[in-house]
Amino acid sequence: MGQAASPPDQGLTRRGLLAGSAALLASACAPRRNPAALRLWAMSYEGDYSPHLMPPFTRATGIDVEVQSLPWTASHEKLLTAFAGDAMPDVMMLPAGWVGEFAMVGAIAPVCDPALVTGLFPGLTEATRYGGRDHAVPWSVAPQAQFYRRDLLAAAGYDGPPLDWAGWRHMGRELKRRRPGEWVFLMPLNWWDALFTFAGQAGAKLLRDRNTRGDFASPEFAAALDFYASLYADRLAPPMLSTELQDPFAAFAQGAFAIYPRSPAMLLDLRRRAAEIAPDRWGVARMPGPRGPAPAGGISATLAVAATSPRAHEAWTLVRYMTGVGAELEFQRLIGSLPARQSAWAAPQMQAPVLRPFRSQMTELVTEPNVIEWERIRIEVQLVAERLVRGDLTSAQAMATMNTRADAILAKRRALVDAGRIA
Amino acid sequence: MTRQERTAWTFTAPVLAIIAFVLILPTLLALALSVTDYSVYALADWANLRFIGLGNFTTLLTTPLFWRALGNTALFSVVGVPMAIGASLLAALLLNDATVRWKPLWRVALFAPYVTSVVATATVWQFLLNTRYGLLNYGLSLVGIGPVDWLGDPRASIPAILIFVTWKIFGYNMIVFTAALSAVPQDLMEAARLDGASRLGRFRHVTLPAIGPTLLLAAVMSVAGFLQLFAEPYVMTQGGPAQSTVTVLYFMFDEGFKWWNLGQASAVALILFVLILAVTLVQARIGRRYEWL
Repeated sequence: MGQAASPPDQGLTRRGLLAGSAALLASACAPRRNPAALRLWAMSYEGDYSPHLMPPFTRATGIDVEVQSLPWTASHEKLLTAFAGDAMPDVMMLPAGWVGEFAMVGAIAPVCDPALVTGLFPGLTEATRYGGRDHAVPWSVAPQAQFYRRDLLAAAGYDGPPLDWAGWRHMGRELKRRRPGEWVFLMPLNWWDALFTFAGQAGAKLLRDRNTRGDFASPEFAAALDFYASLYADRLAPPMLSTELQDPFAAFAQGAFAIYPRSPAMLLDLRRRAAEIAPDRWGVARMPGPRGPAPAGGISATLAVAATSPRAHEAWTLVRYMTGVGAELEFQRLIGSLPARQSAWAAPQMQAPVLRPFRSQMTELVTEPNVIEWERIRIEVQLVAERLVRGDLTSAQAMATMNTRADAILAKRRALVDAGRIA
Repeated sequence: MTRQERTAWTFTAPVLAIIAFVLILPTLLALALSVTDYSVYALADWANLRFIGLGNFTTLLTTPLFWRALGNTALFSVVGVPMAIGASLLAALLLNDATVRWKPLWRVALFAPYVTSVVATATVWQFLLNTRYGLLNYGLSLVGIGPVDWLGDPRASIPAILIFVTWKIFGYNMIVFTAALSAVPQDLMEAARLDGASRLGRFRHVTLPAIGPTLLLAAVMSVAGFLQLFAEPYVMTQGGPAQSTVTVLYFMFDEGFKWWNLGQASAVALILFVLILAVTLVQARIGRRYEWL
């Protein structure tokens, strides 16, 4: 704030102070960021670690990039508000499930180069297509796998967790019998991942009638829901929210839980906090299915370019770089994320044993309904499942409530589909 | 218009313009939004917007979560306002006593939570309220009360948040009451004492009438504040467990900003506005009866 000080010979005069405060105000209002830089928004670890990918890109292209990291819990509203307020970043990370919504409101531009969306794991571009055109480039895939405590399982006579539901639950009871004061499965009641992984593995369709009504009373979903609820009824998983657990990783490392179903982001935690849990004390396996591993959904992260970006060409250059094999492998090393590009999987680092369960799950992905209300429906369904676990509802009531809530959320879509305004 | 009037209008014009622009205009727009089905579909294409009259209000009245949010908010206010004001008044009375030493220190210490960020204090309280390792449960265990699952049990979550909110905000009203107490006429106090009035009697007949208007002000502000409770449940429980801490404002935030159903959210805002207005009118009426206004 050099310009804010008055010349020394005048001393502290009123005029000097006024001028100073005006200069201070002016400098406070001036944007601190580099106006020439591309703006990138990404969530969670992707956002935290993206700056590490940028120096080689800036050296090669001369384009500066400014990364802003968003928390998952607030990113949907932040992105929509940014669009409504005309303050979109040039490039943004979107989970595949949101692409349809942001494409529909006209927030993101169609992918300009078909080469960007070729050579990916099959099924990934289904979720990013809107109106027949690709609107985002799949970046990474995060299916769930179960991280388990080798030592705790070995004490109960298991080399690794069984991969079918009945065996899994039986193992849980064995572990609980040995350590009644601790838990087995770390599945907070406000995380929908576990329930929807089970539903995917049971083959539940989730929505029906051209995605205009909930289909949560189907026998497949009922099987998944009953299995999910039974884990809490048997006191194998605690009826807790993630806000209560505070540090789930520490709870897993201290042995309060033996099984932690999670995305590959766990690999970064395990590396950063290796002091809390030694590498020989944990292992990773595929999530159990009704009769052995089965296809399940996984969040895939994509990169999209804002429709309003004044520098679309540079923005696509950045997307091309970040979804390229080199950057994806670098990111895999940094945060554990799994490349969406198939050719990246030939690299030596991708042959590590801990990645094997993820890889086999990635070849068996199911696509979730591609409607803009899906995110909300999933959260509502999980809220109802929470009430079932807490004993407020019976299983039949819970499924009926899920359908009622889904139908209410889909009311507007139903009206538009019936009127032929959307497909 | 006289010259004086003109000058007055010139001076107030900027403020009036700002109020019209940032308060009255948005309120009218929200009123207009509340009779439409504005949703993310309308954000995509205005042709998807429909006028639905009172549709949003009838939908709200049949939404169980909205009723639940209303109930939760009512519970927060009915228990929280007396709790917060009681704590403020008690602290102010204690601080006002002549025998208390280091008054400025106490004042700062008790006022500090009010000016500390909600997120930081909520994080600390999450640890204090932890079922297994929390200080609060440790204290309770000393007097033989079993561990309470503060933030995990739907029946304990509202008390837990109330304790936190009271601790967070009572400092502000405490300062206001301290100012009011220092204006209580000392000669009246002396006279009452000489006439043999008890401690309680002096409080009831000398102190209370003197701080009545301040008490009313604090009540009005607290009620408005508690009816708009949002940040604390948002940070501490995200409305959980089992949506037991969803308040009206939290419901509105979810509908409006998370899911972009601005039509529905505006309807909620309108209902909340009417509620706060009604409660304040009742309070004003009570105040007038005791000649505090």
